[in-house]
Amino acid sequence: MMTMTDARAKNSTGPVSVLGVRDLAKSFGGLKAINDVSFDVAPHSITAMIGPNGAGKTTVFNLITNILAKDAGQVSFLGRDLAGMSAVTIARLGLIRTFQAARVFPGMTAIENVMVGGHRLASHSLASQTLWLSAAREEERRILCRAEEMLELVGLAAFRDTHATELPMGAQKLLEVVRALMAQPKLLCLDEPAAGLNDTETGELANLLRAIRSLGVPVLLVEHNMSLVMNVADHVVVIDSGVIIAQGTPAEIQKNARVIEAYLGREGHGTS
Amino acid sequence: MIELLQICIGGLVVGSIYAAIALGFSLVYRVTGAVNLSQGGFAIIAAMIGYTLSVSSGLPLWLAIPCAVAATVIIGVALGTFTFVPALERLSNANVLMLTAGLLTAIEGLSLVLWGSQPYAMPPFSGETPLVFGAIRLPTQAVWVFGSVALCVAALWYLIAKTRLGKGLRACAENPAAASLMGISVARMTLLSFALATLIAAISGVMVAPTTSLQFDTGRLFTISGFVAAAIGGIMSFPGAIIGGLFLGLATQLATAYISSLFSNAIALIILLAVLIFRPSGLVQGSVARRQDTRDEVKAVGHAASLPASLALPLAALALAIAILVPFVVTDNGILSGLVIALILFMALMGLDVLMGYAGQVSLGQAGFMAIGGYTSGYLAINYSLPSLLSIFAGIGMSLACALILSVVTLRLRGLYLALATLAFGLLVDSCAVGFLDITGGPSGLVGIPSFSVAGFEFATPRAMYFVVLALDVIILAGLAGAMRSGFGRALKAIRSDQMAAAALGINIIRYKLAAFLISVTLASLAGSMYAFFFNFLSPEMVGTARSLELVAMLIVGGESTLFGGLLGALLLTLLPTVFQPLAIYKTFAAGALLVASFLYLPQGLYGAVVQATIRLVRSPRETIAKNSSETSARAL
Repeated sequence: MMTMTDARAKNSTGPVSVLGVRDLAKSFGGLKAINDVSFDVAPHSITAMIGPNGAGKTTVFNLITNILAKDAGQVSFLGRDLAGMSAVTIARLGLIRTFQAARVFPGMTAIENVMVGGHRLASHSLASQTLWLSAAREEERRILCRAEEMLELVGLAAFRDTHATELPMGAQKLLEVVRALMAQPKLLCLDEPAAGLNDTETGELANLLRAIRSLGVPVLLVEHNMSLVMNVADHVVVIDSGVIIAQGTPAEIQKNARVIEAYLGREGHGTS
Repeated sequence: MIELLQICIGGLVVGSIYAAIALGFSLVYRVTGAVNLSQGGFAIIAAMIGYTLSVSSGLPLWLAIPCAVAATVIIGVALGTFTFVPALERLSNANVLMLTAGLLTAIEGLSLVLWGSQPYAMPPFSGETPLVFGAIRLPTQAVWVFGSVALCVAALWYLIAKTRLGKGLRACAENPAAASLMGISVARMTLLSFALATLIAAISGVMVAPTTSLQFDTGRLFTISGFVAAAIGGIMSFPGAIIGGLFLGLATQLATAYISSLFSNAIALIILLAVLIFRPSGLVQGSVARRQDTRDEVKAVGHAASLPASLALPLAALALAIAILVPFVVTDNGILSGLVIALILFMALMGLDVLMGYAGQVSLGQAGFMAIGGYTSGYLAINYSLPSLLSIFAGIGMSLACALILSVVTLRLRGLYLALATLAFGLLVDSCAVGFLDITGGPSGLVGIPSFSVAGFEFATPRAMYFVVLALDVIILAGLAGAMRSGFGRALKAIRSDQMAAAALGINIIRYKLAAFLISVTLASLAGSMYAFFFNFLSPEMVGTARSLELVAMLIVGGESTLFGGLLGALLLTLLPTVFQPLAIYKTFAAGALLVASFLYLPQGLYGAVVQATIRLVRSPRETIAKNSSETSARAL
């Protein structure tokens, strides 16, 4: 994993943004769900996308990862155009996403769940596993070790052998984040990680996000929870009715009149 | 021309029955999202009861037939209440489908016990003299069939479109969660749809009885044809079911008349596979799409039982030691043969477990690959005196080639359609095994297959064969255990429980599913070859669809995603009938009933029960040690 200085050094020569989204558009039926959305995710930073319910945040996520087909626009990741790539290919490039509802693998324990995340970088073949070759077993041990560290990181080490679905919702959310982290992403996309978490758990999540940033992993965050976003984000993108209405640092966003309007309602709105 | 019309009438009679059964499929599927394979069984039960009452007991038809239908519906409602309805709450739809396959097997087994294996012929209701229209002769029974099926369709249409009850059924079909919030009892509606489907099946079974010969396993034919008809027509649509049924009836009758009766099934199945490839939702699209998010969500994927590592190795060594000693203690050749069969089936079961238990891919046609492997190696060994090992590899190569072609269809399918495609494949192999007389020996089987031999040493006795098969099992088990406890097994389990999340972590779903499929095919083919070598003989029913369903039963009863569980299921279902000869007739019934009971009451299978008992046994004397070791090393095999 890169250290901060490595990341900075690389940054000076490499691409300026990890993820570049340009003029994204998507309609459902006649409704323009997403229109002209453009933003960048800078290296070793946390970018947050916020907006009222139904603003189209998750749709943007699904357009980036090709789960939905985009009508127009371009998404480039580390300088590569993602057009036409499958979800698997995108994941293998290092863009790892989580889902809005925690999607831990049922029927697997916490540790197994995290270990699945190690799949992207594992090189062992089926044949070497079948023959119990020492290289495969060594790799297996390494993955187990790293997975244990990951559980340690979010304080779930005691629950390593608990079935993931039996964990409380907050723990499942954290588990999903570290499972994604286990894949050593080059960009981590989190879809409402704080949904369903209480204040303490949200605090833990904020610490985890900062830890992830300090590891040099850039994060794109879709979030509802304002205090979390204002706490951890370096760059905030505000989206309303499918268009970007403001971008900037948390401090700038908090003062932005259009953002306040979008969140607190327009005049004459909501009185009927 | 007259001949053609005459054949078409025959086709429409058969087709109406298929249509009625397909209607039942469609009804239950639309209301519950699950497929009920037991319907054909109810058709045959009704027909058998009707025969017993009218022919054996001499009751008049007007009394015997309603009684038979009523009795069948009562049996159906009872079975539905205690199996289908609770299963829908607990099991995934794919497992519910397996459970109803178990119900079908149990019903077949019960018919075998009650009515024996001989065929029955029910006399036509209104005599043998056909109605004559010019040159065309219309059998009176055809009128009965057309009339009753038309009446069923009309009554069902009225019930669904015009009554309050029908509104409830439709609400459940579209959105069960919202329906229950509106005060509709989803469980009651589920049972109602099950009962209605049983009623339709019972009526059509009684009506069609005089046109066909009745046997304990005729029900499976009805189920399969109805299922195929529903899939061809489109399972989400009632007109689709009727069109599919009539089309299938016509196609099979015309094929029988103008091509060959041996291949009439094959033609139906090829039509089905074509529909699945080019128009997976059937010829007629349903008017209302089912909301995928409401019923199809993952219903608690079972937690597989696992032994603590501290116990796994010693126990495995103990089991192996016992297995090696058994042939020296057991001298009875019958029991030893039973053990060899169980060990051979265990090979196929380990493969099936990788495919079904780990990757979550339903397969109802696994015996088809046993057939391809067995017939290929048997044929080569007889006609070209190919050494055993080479002929086994030839069989595996042949099976893999067929598997790759089939995977073009199956890799795109899930759940119900996957089950259907694999079932169709198994049946296709069945009808080829019967049809290719020159290669397979047809229905009477392939005789004179040499025993398994390596480098001139022949393993002709059960005891010699026992050690060969045991050695193969141990090697396969060790290899698969290595893969399943590592990244490969984890990736399969991830795919089984959440495809989208697995893909988002970079797991190539197609590749892993294909790998699991090819592993299962290789092992099934190997098992088929060993089976042929052991019996020196292979016939279609030894590796037919009944065997496929039996393999599923063995796996579920033994315990899924444990690799080892299959052996327990195979031993139970193979040895019990061998040891207790008088009980042999109950074997089919037991396989079905045990499958259903395992799904409902023993979700971890026998293996799970054994594991829990062992853990309890070991823990009680040395509580503290066990606790510590389980905390530090609960990694299991």
